Amino acid sequence: MKTSFVMRAGARGYNKLVSTGPLATYVSGHPEAVLTRHSSFNFGPYQAGRPGFGRLRVFGDEVFSGPGCGYNIHRHHNFIICAFVLQGELTHINTVGNIDQLTPGDYYVFSAGSGGKHCEVNLKNDDMHAIYMWFLPDQLLLPPSYTRNRFDALANRNRLVTLVGNADGALRLSQDVTVSRLSSDTEVGFDYTPRSASHGVYVFVLEGEVHCNDATLARRDSSGIWGAERINLRTGPQESDLLIVETAL
Amino acid sequence: MNEDLKRYICLGCGFLYDEALGLPEHGIEPGTRWADVPENWACPDCFTPKHRFEMVEIPYASGEPHLPRLGPILPPPEPSLHVI
Repeated sequence: MKTSFVMRAGARGYNKLVSTGPLATYVSGHPEAVLTRHSSFNFGPYQAGRPGFGRLRVFGDEVFSGPGCGYNIHRHHNFIICAFVLQGELTHINTVGNIDQLTPGDYYVFSAGSGGKHCEVNLKNDDMHAIYMWFLPDQLLLPPSYTRNRFDALANRNRLVTLVGNADGALRLSQDVTVSRLSSDTEVGFDYTPRSASHGVYVFVLEGEVHCNDATLARRDSSGIWGAERINLRTGPQESDLLIVETAL
Repeated sequence: MNEDLKRYICLGCGFLYDEALGLPEHGIEPGTRWADVPENWACPDCFTPKHRFEMVEIPYASGEPHLPRLGPILPPPEPSLHVI
């Protein structure tokens, strides 16, 4: 049986973290930096929403503003953390041994596994916008790893591209999860077919408008659907950009 | 391993609490049930409170957990009396 929910942009959890005061060791930046985070699922103090979706536990829509804004280096285990940079430049440092700079279209998969630290920072004056996703792994305490790739929006205009998952050119991760992206400048309609009835699909509108089955989703709205044989998606006539996360439930 | 023993993951950072292993360095003995971990206990890595952990049924990666296994205490070997 098909089941779904729609989450409007304004219904998400919201945190505004500043680099001064009690969070000074957690949030980087000087003299004052502001980090905002809209959470689709429960995270930190946000407990009014859904606990997650399938293997997805965190879906954060984040903006780092001000010189040096970000998260100081801190420890993780197990979670597979992905970042998709939308605007600005993200500097990512991790204890796997990477110092990486990511610009719009770039994305990474950092699997913390048996233990790894990372730092996320915006070293530029312009705001950095990124989507952060955290997935549970399919095995505990895997060797930590880091891979990165680039989504070329121009070359892939009006095509659904697999960014993460089991596909040519996609980053792999140790979980039954696929992340795809469609950047369109005209109306694009298609049916998305989940791998099975026990897979759920989370559609998140980065920009523009998307018709998802019977729902119309505006910028930063989202919908989760499961138990569906296919999901009908249609982008609006203006420029639209959407992320699709398919996950085992 | 007792199959009834559960694993719990911190939703703030991914830190793992395995009932089978406990956290001896934090005074929590192996075999301590999650329910018996003090309610005011928090994640040692990120201070997320206990109620923000989630029970997971995820197997370990090959070779993990990489901790000394506590086997039965064996008597010391008999001294050998070989005359060289």
